Amino acid sequence: MNLNLFRHSILTGTVIGIVLVSVLVSVVFLTITSTLTERNARQDVTRHLEQLLETVGDTASVACFVGDSQLANELVAGLMKNEEIAWVSIEADKKELAHAGREGADGRMLAPLVRQVMSPFTAGEVIGSLTVQPDAAVIERAVQHQVRVRVAMLALQLFIIVLAVTGIVLHLIVRPIRALSDSLHRLDAREGEKLLPPRGHEQNEIAVLTNDINTLTDSLVSALREEQAVRMAREKEERKYRSIFENSTSGIFVANAEGSVLSSNQAFQKLGGFVLKEGMALDRLSHLQWCDPEQLQRMLEQCAEHGECQSRVFEIGANGGLWLNVALTSIGDRQVQGVVTDVTQSKQSETLALKMAVSDQLTGASNRLGLERHISEAVAHAPLQSFALLLVDIRGFRQVNESMGMSAGDEILRVAVSRMRGCIKNSDWLARMGGDEFVIVLHGVGTREDAARVAGRINKTLARPAEVLNHPFVIQTNVGIAFYPVDGRDLHSLLRDAGFALAKSKLSGEKGFEFFEVAMIKDAEQRYQLEADLKLSVARNELALHFQPIIELASNRLLGAEALVRWQHPKRGMVMPDTFIPLAEQNGFIREMGVWVLEEACRHLAAWRAANNSSLYMTVNVATPQIPDGLPVELAIEAADRYGVPHDALIFEITEGVLLSDFNKGLKWVESMRAAGFHIYLDDFGTGYSSLSYLKRFPVDAVKVDKSFVRDMQSNASDRALVQAVVAMARALDLQVVAEGVESKQHVELLVEMGCSRGQGYYFSKPMPASAFLEKML
Amino acid sequence: MRGLLFILALSMVAPAVVAEDLVVIVNPKSGVSQLTREEVVDVFMGRNRQLPSRLTALPLDLPSSTAEREQFYRQLTGRSLAEINAYWARLMFTGRATPPILVSGQDESLLMVMDNRSAVAYVSRSRVNAQVKVVYEVGGK
Repeated sequence: MNLNLFRHSILTGTVIGIVLVSVLVSVVFLTITSTLTERNARQDVTRHLEQLLETVGDTASVACFVGDSQLANELVAGLMKNEEIAWVSIEADKKELAHAGREGADGRMLAPLVRQVMSPFTAGEVIGSLTVQPDAAVIERAVQHQVRVRVAMLALQLFIIVLAVTGIVLHLIVRPIRALSDSLHRLDAREGEKLLPPRGHEQNEIAVLTNDINTLTDSLVSALREEQAVRMAREKEERKYRSIFENSTSGIFVANAEGSVLSSNQAFQKLGGFVLKEGMALDRLSHLQWCDPEQLQRMLEQCAEHGECQSRVFEIGANGGLWLNVALTSIGDRQVQGVVTDVTQSKQSETLALKMAVSDQLTGASNRLGLERHISEAVAHAPLQSFALLLVDIRGFRQVNESMGMSAGDEILRVAVSRMRGCIKNSDWLARMGGDEFVIVLHGVGTREDAARVAGRINKTLARPAEVLNHPFVIQTNVGIAFYPVDGRDLHSLLRDAGFALAKSKLSGEKGFEFFEVAMIKDAEQRYQLEADLKLSVARNELALHFQPIIELASNRLLGAEALVRWQHPKRGMVMPDTFIPLAEQNGFIREMGVWVLEEACRHLAAWRAANNSSLYMTVNVATPQIPDGLPVELAIEAADRYGVPHDALIFEITEGVLLSDFNKGLKWVESMRAAGFHIYLDDFGTGYSSLSYLKRFPVDAVKVDKSFVRDMQSNASDRALVQAVVAMARALDLQVVAEGVESKQHVELLVEMGCSRGQGYYFSKPMPASAFLEKML
Repeated sequence: MRGLLFILALSMVAPAVVAEDLVVIVNPKSGVSQLTREEVVDVFMGRNRQLPSRLTALPLDLPSSTAEREQFYRQLTGRSLAEINAYWARLMFTGRATPPILVSGQDESLLMVMDNRSAVAYVSRSRVNAQVKVVYEVGGK
């Protein structure tokens, strides 16, 4: 226990307290004691003296009675032996009988004791007085002595009490507390250590205190742990956010309303470093090369002053071209936090995507979306300015894709686009609508003449021979034309109208382009209705086969018949093949129809052959879409065999279109048909390409000369020459020739003369129903 | 104890009842005709022996064994003989005052008074004769 500790210990306090209180009490006590003692002493003295006086009373009485001064002096001397007396005097008859005093005696403050001396013989007679002065010094000495004794006793008492208290306090309080304190110093509460009460204090208040300390320690430790956990979590969070701030790829800064940068992360410094003005530091936002610094400043102020969050893309850089997205958030105190992201790439991609969105990737022309925008812009910009919308369609493009592959189709589309570009002005607009459809917008063109000139030029330019993947190819197109604002005021209606015109053009197939007319809408509706009806025709049993005889010209003998399909429409009456066959070809119904025709042809042929003419043959027209899957060889064999028709009595007539659409497939079909024993005639010879090389490579059994040549053969020398050439060529290739459209005896004679052996036409018979054919011809 | 006290008291009172009255007598030539009690006390107790007639009185005392002596002091001072003796014992030490002269009895007292003009004595009333003069009646009046 060091001195300093001692100075502030409970023990010292207790001892000092006890001493002080004791001293105070002692002083009071002593004061009282001394007063009491003094009084007691005085009383003692007085009593003593009174007793003394009592004892000498008789003698004094005698002395006074007699006036015996000697006796009185004896008496006085005797009294003076008493130390308590300062002086003594005896008076009798008003005169002093005897007196004695002590030197150095103190008579102060004390009243002298006066005793009357009575006569010894006469009661009540006063004969003198005896006066005794008590000595104050004696009393004082007595008091002092008493006080000294008391003080000594008190001091002793105090000393013993202090010793006892010190011992008790040391044992009961200071030592346990010291022990507790030492244990506390050594205690590691975080390790769960507990404080033990000092030995001998397991049950008292020290133990309670120990428990309380343990409880407190526990709660403190757990509070500390919680606090620590919270702090660690916060630090972690803080580190995380710091790390996010520091490692963010977005630039982050804090700036005030004036644009001074107060703090920023590395990404911001890196971003800003690229676009910093020459010789400037990154301490102000205005030191960056903004293309529009005023706008940034406005945004900054708005955010800082009004707390509006703002985000905007700014162009930046010495020459622009870089784009930064700046998002500002107010953080109060006229300060903002900004997040800066380099959006140059996405901005570029956006631009590119925007371009891609409105353009066709394959050809580079605009797409439908681009066209829509162009039209709406044009209309909005000059609503009264008329323009022509040309809808261009490449004929037979689907077949090209199917036969030659997608890449060939793509190549054709590219060629078509580049050629069409050459036909229009820069201000005009070219768009691909998908597939093989294109739209050309001719601005300022409001008359049919002008539009027709361009359309004709387009058709002509596209039709120039081209080579696609080493194959010669001709792009044939149809164009439908509509005018703004006459035919329609928006793209939708203009496209619809141009579509009608295009459909008309495809059907007519002569000019290669058509103008929209209101009637087309009605035509289209009718066509639509007709198509719908056509699909039901087989089921409704509305189709019928008519037959036109084929005659051996030299002998006028019946050789066979061509089966021709007729449609008896319930409302329209007889519908001609020219009307419904193209429809059927377009919508694919031709295949179903072809199967029906084959079935019917076989049935009639079998019947006729069985009835009369066992050598009769039948020709059936096969349209291009039927080849090869619409009319497979197996189907033909099955039908023929089922009716017992010999294969060589069934002849399929095909056109040059089969060869054009897909030469290889067509060739394969033809060869397999011939291998099965069926014969193949090439129909309408002379009207199309009539390529001799095709004839050579295409193994057909006969060619049919088109009726347009035969009809004018007499009056038109060139037609006659053509027929003659075809006949000659066929004979040279060992092919039969069948002339169509034989209408007179002269025709027959000419054809026979040319060496054409067979013919058909009105001269012999119109096509007629089966019943009529059976009756007339057989 | 009470009985004893009663007997003592009886024994003390009885003689007074039965005894004669005492008187103080002087020589007729002494010039004194009357003495007060105080004058009698002063004379017998040694305080002042000068008589009113300027004579120095010579008091006479009966022997201690006599009842008259006892009666005299009792009646005069209210004190017992022992007390009177103690009184004189104190005074004898200094010699300032002397006790009365002791005589053998009343006869001698009478003789002395008759013979000496300064003498003062106490006797029973019955003993008084013409040669003496009663100046004070002890216990009387």
